[in-house]
Amino acid sequence: MNPNLLFIIPLLPLAAAVVNAVAGQFLPRRLSEGIAVGAVGFSTIATLLLWPLVDAEGVRAELYTWIASGDLRIPVEIVFDPLSASMTLMVVFVSTLIHLYAVGYMREERDYARFFALLNLFVFAMLTIVLADNLLLLFLGWEGVGFCSYALIGYWYREKKNADAGRKAFLVTRTGDVFLGIALLWLFSLTGTLSITGINQAAFDFGSGTLLLLTLLLLAGACGKSAQLPLMTWLPDAMAGPTPVSALIHAATMVTAGVYLLARLFPLVSLSSTGMAVIAAIGAASALYAASCAVAQREIKKVLAYSTMSQVGFMFLAIGVGAVGAAMFHLFTHAFFKALLFMGAGCAIHLTGENDIFRMGGLGRRAPLVFWTFLAGALCLAGAPLTSGFFSKDAILLATFAGGGVFQRILWGVAAATALLTVFYTFRLVYLVFAGSPRAAGEAHRLPGVMRWTLPPLAVLALAGGLLNLPVAWGGSGVLNSFLGRFAGREIHASHALEWGLAGLATLLFVLGWLLARLRYRPFPEERISPARDFLLRGWEADRLVSAVIVRPFTSLARILWQRGDRKGIDGFLEGTGHLLMAMGEGLRRATTGRLHSYLGGFAWGLIALLGWMLLRYAF
Amino acid sequence: MIVPMSHILAFSGAMFFMGFACVLAQRNLIMILIGVEVMLNAVGLTLVGASALWGQVDGQIFVIFLMAMTSAEVSISLAMVVYLHRRSKTLEADAFSGMKG
Repeated sequence: MNPNLLFIIPLLPLAAAVVNAVAGQFLPRRLSEGIAVGAVGFSTIATLLLWPLVDAEGVRAELYTWIASGDLRIPVEIVFDPLSASMTLMVVFVSTLIHLYAVGYMREERDYARFFALLNLFVFAMLTIVLADNLLLLFLGWEGVGFCSYALIGYWYREKKNADAGRKAFLVTRTGDVFLGIALLWLFSLTGTLSITGINQAAFDFGSGTLLLLTLLLLAGACGKSAQLPLMTWLPDAMAGPTPVSALIHAATMVTAGVYLLARLFPLVSLSSTGMAVIAAIGAASALYAASCAVAQREIKKVLAYSTMSQVGFMFLAIGVGAVGAAMFHLFTHAFFKALLFMGAGCAIHLTGENDIFRMGGLGRRAPLVFWTFLAGALCLAGAPLTSGFFSKDAILLATFAGGGVFQRILWGVAAATALLTVFYTFRLVYLVFAGSPRAAGEAHRLPGVMRWTLPPLAVLALAGGLLNLPVAWGGSGVLNSFLGRFAGREIHASHALEWGLAGLATLLFVLGWLLARLRYRPFPEERISPARDFLLRGWEADRLVSAVIVRPFTSLARILWQRGDRKGIDGFLEGTGHLLMAMGEGLRRATTGRLHSYLGGFAWGLIALLGWMLLRYAF
Repeated sequence: MIVPMSHILAFSGAMFFMGFACVLAQRNLIMILIGVEVMLNAVGLTLVGASALWGQVDGQIFVIFLMAMTSAEVSISLAMVVYLHRRSKTLEADAFSGMKG
């Protein structure tokens, strides 16, 4: 097969985005939706058809040279290796289902063309990140998904709150992107190339200080995109966008781009042990932080947003302990079950007309299909034994525990505590939304069939996703790990006894968390207001911290520069010059009396002065 | 040359300063204009004398130009004097200060 055919995969969504952006409003609605869904669907089919191209070294295809200047040569080149191929398949498949779901969800919106154009453009940008063999091309996709995320969060821009959330997401992720940009420039000055393969090969010659700094810069970029500490404040606010957007961008694909970046550059990153430790620590801290926040949230989508942050933290932890295979495994299973949960949440919001889980309730009997599929997703998120989340989270916990040192043990403890919290908040969500009697007062909508019937395939995938990478101890063969080959990171050496022991512990945590949630939330409790709850509800006051540490000093500095520097300094100097010249003009004005004799007097004095000067010159 | 150059210069200088004194001292616009004419003629005399001294014809041609220009200037300025007199019934130079800044 011709490797150039690979370009079909990202270019189909781009073409659909262009068509919808240019002509979408003039096309019949069905056609516009059909183009959007069809493009992504055909991308999925193309990925499956082109699957045989994958080999361990990766197939490359070059479209054209994008930039050539001196030593710098940036080809538009994509690479199809096990890592990018599996990620591509996940992205296009989940995107197809979410696009279908979006057709139902956006049924009553009039601005569907803009929505689908942006959604398709997002898929294109995401595929650019995934397939790029060049860091600059990757950066193009990186910024592209950032822009689409911004535009889609603020999709209902007429409400200021939504537009603000979009801007916040854009600015916070941009902070991380600056660091990524610095890392890119530095890598180019060090190696003279931006090819990912080339950089990974050249990384062995870097000094340890350089490696550490580069890792930290890349980590900062990844943190911004993946909403990890300390650049996480945008993700809960990003829930202002439509639910399909949250499912696609803020759960399944874009927020995992940071994990993917680190996995792509793992050969470089893994050379710095301090850098790896920082990655693991950030991941574990974000996981615990977000899980604790999720426990107190009231809005259904914010629970899921914090849970996403927490699960991405697990992936960072896995990368940090060198288990890239486990990270990618969790990335895939998480994409399935979290997209499923978001889509289920969208159905719940649609059915009740409410966002607040304390005002939902009783949906289990009203919409059994939504309930069962949501429960499947929740079980995976909570890590119920034999579901996909169980295996993928277990792989991360095992890899962390097997790391050996005290540091790894502490991280493992944090991760285990996070897992317990995860079970608790997941079942809190399930009980509050689906159990008990209906409490909703909002306007209920009927659920379009296309929204309901996209749930079961994802539910099946989420439940059975564990088969993707069933550990050897469970009779599997670690398919994903062996498929990823050299991309799977370090080997994990752990005895089967340890594996079974940790699995038993995970089961115990699951049962414990479930019982706690059942005791507390099965009989519907009135919400208890306490300072601790408010603290967690507002995400540990992170927004206030950011505004106190960064925004307010920045504002006052800007005010000083504005009033002292600009107003008084620059404007003062320019206006002062003007005033001086005007005063001089006023003085000179008195000389023009308008009377003939004063002018003639001037002539006379001038003549005398001239003659006097000539006389003096002649005399001496 | 019959008349020495120094005489010509002395005469035209005296004439120039008499014209200038007239311009400065007189209040009447017509008298000031007469003073200006006298000064112009003093300059013309110097030019003719110098042209004779160096045997160059340029100075004399220049004087002819000067005469033509002077006649034009006089016609304009006399017209203005007539106009000013009609407007304000006086020819006192100090009565006009419309150019005051």
